Amino acid sequence: MSKKTAINRIIIHTVLILGCIVMIVPFAWMFLTAFKTSSEATQISPFVIFPTAFRLDAFKSVMSKMNFLLLYKNTMVLIIGRVICAVLTATMAGYALGRLNFMGKGLAFSLVLFQMMVPSQIFIIPQYLMVSKLGMLNTSFALIFPGLVTAFGTFLLRQAFMGLPGELEEAARLDGCNIFQTFLYVMAPLTKSSMVALGIFTALFGYKDLMWPLVVNIEQTTMPLSAALAKLQGQFTANYPELMAASLLACIPMIVIYIIFQKQFIEGIATSGGKL
Amino acid sequence: MRKMGALLLSAAMVLSLAACGGSGNQAGSSAAQTAETTAAGTTAGTTAGTTAGTLSVAIWDKNQEPGLTKILEDFTAETGIKAKIQVTPWEQYWTMLEAGATGGSLPDVFWMHSNEFSRYAEYEMLLDLNDRIAGSDKIELDKFPADIIDLYTWNDKQYAVPKDIDTIALWYNKTMFDEAGLSYPDASWTWDDFAEACQKLTKADGSQYGYSLKPSNNQDGWYNMVYDFGGEIISEDQKSSGFDKAGTIAAIEFVTDLVKQGYTPSYETMTENNPEALFEAGTVGMITMGSWMLPELCNNDYVKANGDIAVLPKGTETGRRSSIYNGLGWAAAVNTQMPEEAWSLIEYMGSQKAQQKQSDLGVVISAYEGTTDNWIATYPDFNLQAYLDMMGDMVIRPHSKTTVTWENMTSEKLVDAWTGARSVQDVCADIAEEMNSLLASE
Amino acid sequence: MTVKTKRKGTRQSRNEFIWGWIFLLPTMAGLMILNIIPIFQTVYQSFFKTGAFGKGNVFIGLDNYIKMAGDSAVWQALFNTFKYTLVEVPVSIVIAIILAVLINQKLRGRTVYRVIYFLPMVAAPAAVAMVWRWLYNTEFGLLNHLRNMAGLGSVSWISNPRIAFISVAVVGIWSVIGYNMVLFLAGLQEIPRDFYEAASIDGANGIYQFFRITLPLISPTMFFVTVTRTIGALQVFDSIYMMMDRTNPALPKTQSLVYLFYKYSFTEGNKGYGSAIVVLLLAVIMVITVIQMICQKKWVSYN
Repeated sequence: MSKKTAINRIIIHTVLILGCIVMIVPFAWMFLTAFKTSSEATQISPFVIFPTAFRLDAFKSVMSKMNFLLLYKNTMVLIIGRVICAVLTATMAGYALGRLNFMGKGLAFSLVLFQMMVPSQIFIIPQYLMVSKLGMLNTSFALIFPGLVTAFGTFLLRQAFMGLPGELEEAARLDGCNIFQTFLYVMAPLTKSSMVALGIFTALFGYKDLMWPLVVNIEQTTMPLSAALAKLQGQFTANYPELMAASLLACIPMIVIYIIFQKQFIEGIATSGGKL
Repeated sequence: MRKMGALLLSAAMVLSLAACGGSGNQAGSSAAQTAETTAAGTTAGTTAGTTAGTLSVAIWDKNQEPGLTKILEDFTAETGIKAKIQVTPWEQYWTMLEAGATGGSLPDVFWMHSNEFSRYAEYEMLLDLNDRIAGSDKIELDKFPADIIDLYTWNDKQYAVPKDIDTIALWYNKTMFDEAGLSYPDASWTWDDFAEACQKLTKADGSQYGYSLKPSNNQDGWYNMVYDFGGEIISEDQKSSGFDKAGTIAAIEFVTDLVKQGYTPSYETMTENNPEALFEAGTVGMITMGSWMLPELCNNDYVKANGDIAVLPKGTETGRRSSIYNGLGWAAAVNTQMPEEAWSLIEYMGSQKAQQKQSDLGVVISAYEGTTDNWIATYPDFNLQAYLDMMGDMVIRPHSKTTVTWENMTSEKLVDAWTGARSVQDVCADIAEEMNSLLASE
Repeated sequence: MTVKTKRKGTRQSRNEFIWGWIFLLPTMAGLMILNIIPIFQTVYQSFFKTGAFGKGNVFIGLDNYIKMAGDSAVWQALFNTFKYTLVEVPVSIVIAIILAVLINQKLRGRTVYRVIYFLPMVAAPAAVAMVWRWLYNTEFGLLNHLRNMAGLGSVSWISNPRIAFISVAVVGIWSVIGYNMVLFLAGLQEIPRDFYEAASIDGANGIYQFFRITLPLISPTMFFVTVTRTIGALQVFDSIYMMMDRTNPALPKTQSLVYLFYKYSFTEGNKGYGSAIVVLLLAVIMVITVIQMICQKKWVSYN
């Protein structure tokens, strides 16, 4: 019996490892290409897989043309801004929808559900016009704008609150708390894991948001990483080492953060999809 | 996990005070920010904390930034007015500008291009420079090419001052020519000679081809051939399409024949890699390139070792050697808070002194007559003179009010001609029809 | 769920009403301003021919829709979007479930596997698109080089109209497998071990257990993933925009509805027409989601 299990194990590991290779090859290729010269990258005969020397030229060139520190900062501002707004508004709304009882609650929740089903592109132009009329294009505010509230987050926190025991409010009221205090001191702290999940989810998808920053057309000074990378293709038309170097510089911070906090990341994503 | 969450939240809250709140001021105080005017139209210099009264200057070519910054420093030294350049890549420049125009917050000074000028002028987004130019002793309009002046005229008034011109020339790979036993391209070349060279340069094993061109390489590619073959892209009065002219069709067929005969890489390769990329990779022996690509090509190691520049071939039958050219202009926003300062800057950039320096620094070919002698020395290893020689017969870049729309439509439709899916005749007939209806609706 | 409230007297319920709406206010205000009203605005915009700079909009009624109905590029794009979705969603889900089941066993290194499979989700989409574009390059790409080494000819992965959409879908699948897998893992962990033990005692093998125990019990998660991934796939844009040049011969057979939306609204400044296209997309997504919700009753088993 154990021999069969052992063979099973080997097969499973083999399959999984093959899959891992497929997952990693693009990153490896990004890495290798970034250290090549432009000629090495486009050589066909013989094809160059490993650069003859690990040159930093592409990196230096790209860093002189793009201010990466500024890009990181802008991206952080976008992420943190959206996370704060999402967690704050969603927790409050989630509590209201999940624990309180009042007229209009059903309608409000239906609107929340509805928004989740609508393709996000439908919001882009009106939001763009709003920001433009406010004269707030090319500002950090513009980057955060679509994330000021989150239907998904509201849904998630509502689920979380609904999962808490009913006696808590009774106990709090007996202690003399009003609704607000109950929320702040008793209920909200118990949904921390969902809040963290929402935070991670918002951060990740804010980081990856491409069309909005591209469209609100942030100038160099307020652009986040995703848009800056997309614009690169127009600037370095032929130079793949530089494109790959820029991609690496854009990806590495998030990857490092992910590897350090991978448990929180994965649990966060799992929670956000798991509570239905 | 809980502790991590709490830490994250509190750290985020602290930072959010900086980010979420007061983001309007935040934007204003970041050093390189444009002097934004809000829709409410506050007065200039209220951009919190910055050097009040700095002109914002928007451009799209990163390569020109260093040189232009130097010239602006001279300007500041002379007038005391400060200015700061903002680069937004071409693809996004117009969206950025349009957004600014819609929201009432254009940069103070910015580049104008023939593609978009008419729209901006018609909708009164640009500062009227006419009287100022007339009264200026620094700007001598007669020293600029008449075409460029016309480009930026609307209802007989001038809305932008010419900045530069660009021409198209032929790049070739000396090493490949030597290997094939061909003599280098020169002024005697016709497009037939060119085609012959393409054939000789193409190797049977597919490692080398003669030429590469995408349908979207119009100004720096097939437009030039169209005029050499006696055709045109758009009529003089900008009311009808030139795609039904025999010369136009013949020119496009010339290119598609090269593709058909295999003197160019496969269409897939051409569409996935820009011509200059293939040239730098040593895949093709010749490409046609605009003078704005000089920094890219002249700084590439492979090209430095193997490439040089020659004038474009001339039409076999017409003997015409034309170069499409375009020129940018300096314009100011109609609602800029600093009109006099903006005008000062534009006036300075259009003066002979600045134009000369622009050429000398190798930034670009200045529009002002006779300032180009030193420009050649920018990249001494290459024959930059070829670009200047092409100035002998220049055709202004075809444009109308809806240039971008019909240009994109043309590139897309021509894909079928390049791949051989449809005949050039049919495609051109389609293009002419659609372009005419677009022009009619202008 | 909410039946816990006993009639406590009007003071309590009035309090709840006030506080409820106070808590709800930021989100509702945001939803109305940022989302609900824009939906109407976009629909409204689709009845206009857009002028430049927000001025000079001309009301043209249903003209944009009539033009859209006759625009073969739009219908092709709709078809392309379906093609893409039909490849990306099922394949990514099937592979993810298999991976989840495999990793769920008491394996050594399962954390490492999890981290690696989720890695593509963390990379910036623009970077992902650029490196895949380079891998797929007909002339210089690694994939064709490997094929050539194996004696096979080169393939135009993203320039061949017939397979380009699959190549783009592969990138989508590669990115999202980790995400799906993580969700499935979470769902799997909810299944009590006893079920499997009981089945083993009864003599059922692994495959049987998978189809009779695992799949039904994980069907709520599967449903959630299917619905959300479908909605996501129907909105595909980033990868097409970044990987395919405007002169790419495969573009007409690959461009999605959102790609057309971007082209008309932002590249050509025709926001009216672009809005009409988005409205079409909205209708399509609504219909498909409703169909999926109805089908839910048939194949999803809740405890």
